[in-house]
Amino acid sequence: MSNCSKLGKKERAFGYSVIFPYLAYTAVFWGYPFIWMVVLAFTKWNYFSKPQFVLLSNFLRIFTDSLVIRIALNTLNFLAYLIPMVLFASLFFAMALTKVKFGKTFIMLSFLVANVSSGVAYSLLFSNLFSINGPINRLMDSLFGFTIPWFSNPQLAVFSICLIITWKFIGYYGLIIYAGLLSIPQSIYEAAELDGADKKTIFWKITLPLLNPSLITVTVLAITLTFGIFTEPYMITGGGPMQRTTTFLIYMYDTAFKRIDPSYATTVAIVTALVSYALVMLIRKFFEKEVVFV
Amino acid sequence: MRKERIVSWIITIVLLALAILWIYPYIWLIISSFKPAEDIYTTFIPKRLTLEHYKFIFLMANKFQRPFVRAFLNSLFITSTVTFSVLVTSAIIGYVVSKIEFKIGKYVFNFLIYQMLFPGFMFMIPMFILIRNLGWLNTYQALIVPSLTSSWGVFMFAQSFKTIPKDYIDAAKIDGANNFWIVFRIMLPLAKSTASIVGMFTFIGTWDNFLWPLMVMKDYNRMPLSVLLASFNHEYASYVGPVLAGAVIQTIPMVLIFLVLREYFLQGISMSLR
Repeated sequence: MSNCSKLGKKERAFGYSVIFPYLAYTAVFWGYPFIWMVVLAFTKWNYFSKPQFVLLSNFLRIFTDSLVIRIALNTLNFLAYLIPMVLFASLFFAMALTKVKFGKTFIMLSFLVANVSSGVAYSLLFSNLFSINGPINRLMDSLFGFTIPWFSNPQLAVFSICLIITWKFIGYYGLIIYAGLLSIPQSIYEAAELDGADKKTIFWKITLPLLNPSLITVTVLAITLTFGIFTEPYMITGGGPMQRTTTFLIYMYDTAFKRIDPSYATTVAIVTALVSYALVMLIRKFFEKEVVFV
Repeated sequence: MRKERIVSWIITIVLLALAILWIYPYIWLIISSFKPAEDIYTTFIPKRLTLEHYKFIFLMANKFQRPFVRAFLNSLFITSTVTFSVLVTSAIIGYVVSKIEFKIGKYVFNFLIYQMLFPGFMFMIPMFILIRNLGWLNTYQALIVPSLTSSWGVFMFAQSFKTIPKDYIDAAKIDGANNFWIVFRIMLPLAKSTASIVGMFTFIGTWDNFLWPLMVMKDYNRMPLSVLLASFNHEYASYVGPVLAGAVIQTIPMVLIFLVLREYFLQGISMSLR
């Protein structure tokens, strides 16, 4: 027994020798920025002078900033396309995948390989593919006699960015839902069929409700993703046309480095995080259902 | 029953077609990077293939102050250092918080979960100020040191070590093994899939990182490829061929590591659901 406690002591000593450096590192690279984040939110600063305490005026400014209102609407616009597109497409992909006869590996891989594309590279790829005289528009022109201003029409630009994000994430989200589908016990379907339920009823009354956790997961991931959009508009549209693809992160970046206002930029980041967090909580509260397989 | 079979055949064909449509952008990208400039937008199947865009990137781009080869090596250096460090630190800290019984370990574990609640962009400008105060702007440290360890990585290792019985550790201790030996020779081989998942996602995330290096790195010689490519496109967007060739080079390492570790990618997806 004494041997054992000796081992325990030595073990704890090792533990402390790992934890303390970790805590020191975290204090510098997490604690220090955290303190700065709080300081910045309540001060006015231009990187050089002494920060001036301004109470809540950074937060109040957000509510009167017409650009923030524009960006909030843009974000809603992105959500309005992205959430339905992503949910329908990944649900379709997952359900179709359960019916596939052969080539499942190939299908999964080609959808997933889109997901590991680099943000910068795929933005460049699509901005060329969809450019006004690019290959897609040439094809459209020769087939139908018109071209589509994918990234230069304000509403279409939002839609096109959602389209390429959907291209990127369907493999990932679809497999989350696929895993959810596979976890539904087959016996439930058999019982329903015995009771004479038709395909439609089975889908609406069994599959969809039991998929709730996966669908919520995908929705939450897509919401978090939307609030973090930066690379695509930065690379493809530069926030335009008419500032319709300007996102919170683009605004944060511009405010901090072009308008030299890191305190307001940090406040925007904090509020963005809070809003996205609140939206996720709302979705969870209203749509999440506990699913138990008995 | 017959009808059902026909339906599933149709679905198979539709999905196969969609799968090809999904990789079509990649195929277009690769073929276009080998096409003569005037053919890029016009013909899908080129009349002749050329290496001029790659030659431009490897040989000429230096004259445009855009050293692509160096940027590729920078990315490789930064990404492999971060990935290696995250794996080592996550395994050690994960072991300490999951297998050693002391109070502070539990606190650290809870703190890690708390840390993961904050989205990264909240910390970006404060982190920029830290790097600036340290005098690290435009240095490799700025891109490496803040990511040397990852709360998510520690969390993943801690979760997977929790399932390994303590007997393994006790047996090794009686044989006189020290703690590092236990972590790297006993625990890590038993948590191979976790290590692969953490390694792969860290590699992909670091390679693909854009906003952070854009903020702290203005020196063309130390830029990672993602930022250099973006800045090249910013100034020379009309050089479509080299831009696309650069995009191919930027994509290759990510796709390669994905193809090598694809099984773990799928496991990672189902794990993140738990």
